[in-house]
Amino acid sequence: MKKKKPSGTSLLYQLIGEARGYDDAIVLGRGDPDFDTPPHIVAAAKRAMVEHYQDHSPPQGLLALRQAIAERVKRVNNIDVDPETEVVVTNGGQEALFLMVLAVIAPGDEMIVPEPNYNTYADSLAFAGGIKAEVQTYAESDFRADPAAVRAAITDKTRALLLVSPNNPAASVISPADMREMLEIASEHDLMILADDIYDLFVYDDFEHISPASLPGAKERTLTLNALSKSYSMTGWRLGWIVGPADLMARVTELKAAISGGTSVISQHAGIAALTGPQDAVEMMAEAYRRRRRLVLDALDAMGVRYGMPQGGQFVFADIGFTGLDSAEVAQRMVSEQHVLAYPGSAFSKDRKDYLRMTFLQPEAQLREGLRRMKIVIDKIVAGK
Amino acid sequence: MASDNKSALLRRQRANEHLNSPLLQPMARDDKDLSYDGVQARLDERIIDAAAAALDDGQTHYVDVPGIAPLRAAVAEHLRDSAAGHYQESNIVITAGMQEARFLSMQMIGENFNSIALPAALDPGARKALGTRERQPSFLPVAPARGYLPSVDAIAQAAADGCRLFYLESPARLSGAVYTAAEVAAISQIAADNDAAVIWDQGLAPWVAGAYASLAALDSDCARTAAIGELASGMGLASWFIGYIAAPARWIAALQSQKQIMAICTSTAAQYAALGASEIYSELHAPRLSALGALRADLAASAAALGIAVVPGAAQNILCLQVTAAQRETISAAGFAYADGSHFGASEVVRLAVNDAAAAALGALT
Ligand SMILES: Cc1ncc(COP(=O)(O)O)c(C=O)c1O
Repeated sequence: MKKKKPSGTSLLYQLIGEARGYDDAIVLGRGDPDFDTPPHIVAAAKRAMVEHYQDHSPPQGLLALRQAIAERVKRVNNIDVDPETEVVVTNGGQEALFLMVLAVIAPGDEMIVPEPNYNTYADSLAFAGGIKAEVQTYAESDFRADPAAVRAAITDKTRALLLVSPNNPAASVISPADMREMLEIASEHDLMILADDIYDLFVYDDFEHISPASLPGAKERTLTLNALSKSYSMTGWRLGWIVGPADLMARVTELKAAISGGTSVISQHAGIAALTGPQDAVEMMAEAYRRRRRLVLDALDAMGVRYGMPQGGQFVFADIGFTGLDSAEVAQRMVSEQHVLAYPGSAFSKDRKDYLRMTFLQPEAQLREGLRRMKIVIDKIVAGK
Repeated sequence: MASDNKSALLRRQRANEHLNSPLLQPMARDDKDLSYDGVQARLDERIIDAAAAALDDGQTHYVDVPGIAPLRAAVAEHLRDSAAGHYQESNIVITAGMQEARFLSMQMIGENFNSIALPAALDPGARKALGTRERQPSFLPVAPARGYLPSVDAIAQAAADGCRLFYLESPARLSGAVYTAAEVAAISQIAADNDAAVIWDQGLAPWVAGAYASLAALDSDCARTAAIGELASGMGLASWFIGYIAAPARWIAALQSQKQIMAICTSTAAQYAALGASEIYSELHAPRLSALGALRADLAASAAALGIAVVPGAAQNILCLQVTAAQRETISAAGFAYADGSHFGASEVVRLAVNDAAAAALGALT
């Protein structure tokens, strides 16, 4: 096999590997919240190790957790689901994502993907033999996915429409009006909707998140994923879910059984505690992200870096095209020279070489320091050094 | 609102026979569930402490895709020490349980081959994993007398017919039968002569009484054998879903990449628990194995007394019996669940987990 220059996920892992070698590295890359999992959730997991380690979990997950999930998606997303037949617990949002794609895409099928987007969608599509039909979004319009562009991308092979809101990496939130139009398009063309709500608790300013499955007539054609990873700082527990109509969820259950069989019951009990216990830690973290977002935007403004206004999520997708360098090179220099890790846009989409994705998942002091060092690198590049 | 698109995809998936194979869980649903092939065991406080300490230490975040380094090293070492492979840390991918190990190994190693040959009777989870994508399986004939292991001749014939990837279980998940050292040597030779690869499910090997011959042990360069199995088997971690793939270096990148795509990594707590278990494994395992051995001998004797043929097997945690339809019904009517041989590809047998309840299930037949 030919050796390729690392790209996509492998480029990310190379940068992560290098950053790990520096004691003073500041990581503005990986989407892993700096907060540890709240103590009452950890305590529930420890209890489960004593009391529940012999629980039998079917592939779709413990009923008690599925009930907690059904209540959560009703309360937060206004989606009605039957916990017996319309919820499947997964190994994180990632497995949910992979399962959703496998459930609806057969070889040769097309899925419409607003770009830039979370790269695992492209990888999962490739596994399933599907084809990505890209709809570009732009910083000038805050990465809005334009329903007209979606409509124009439809062919007779289109089977599904992907809606990640808030989006990773673009941080755009699909407005209720656009969401209604997306549903209209899906209904007209008989498309499945894959909705990724993983950042639904992180929405800023006056923006509003709406789950497509909450709209009248949408549920029957929509699979919705979510996970506890980002909102409860539970990335290491690998706990997520899919909700959708019973007929599709029966297929998702079969696929979940096929690819991993079940989900750790210890993580599932932690999940029950997270969803049914006190929610103040979630609110505290969400508030911290609001403050940090402001801090990052102010620093980028000071550097003269443009970006699409992050309406939700945990990142800023910043345009560093004015440096004249490909962002993979900028990211590399940031790591090597100043030990700051940010992700190059090319890791998300081949057309986004001008962008860097920066997360605000570090304490404010760290963020400030990271941005200060980033400025040193940017200034040097601009000065031709 | 009817959707033709959805109807079509539902129809397609419902027609996928392999994908719709049933899945057997690693742990019992209740006291009368004998369908699992894990070993139910008490979770030692030291294992709980190891997992709890990691959580207290802030290990609640993503970890490396292929698993935490000390666990990968411990797995490689354990395989070397138990003559089950020559793998190094870099050859190991930690999985979220046995089924993920099946799926990842079959799908990703399978990408390099046109076809894959499997025993005609094998764990239904293997067919299920295969069914997630169109793959061309061929099935190797099996017979009850040899515990449903495909014969060396059948493997040689498939290789002669052009098959270059084999999926084999030893112990067989249905019967617990194992290949002898001579047979393993012959399979190894067939693989070498034909430049073929083998995915070798040795997950039940810890429950074999006496010597166990692993194909991976003969692959001294780790060139063509990928071994898969449960981790910390019989340590009370069945419901934590933790397994491994030990694979030749040339497949590791693809396995890791797909692991990232489908799960990012395996549960941190489960990995630290498995690491804790690895430290006390030898202390806990031997008595559990000998207790199972005694129990299984009693069960086999009871079955024989009832005129039920016991399919030969070496794994002490399961018992495979040739029962009549009437006997099955009696067992079910008494409330016991068993693993149905027809789900494996052998409708004449059932598999029981070896435990106290199994004695009661056989008691129902007297
Ligand atoms: C949009 C999106 N979906 C899904 C995931 C998967 O998250 P996890 O598997 O950690 O729950 C991520 C992670 O970054 C994401 O950004």
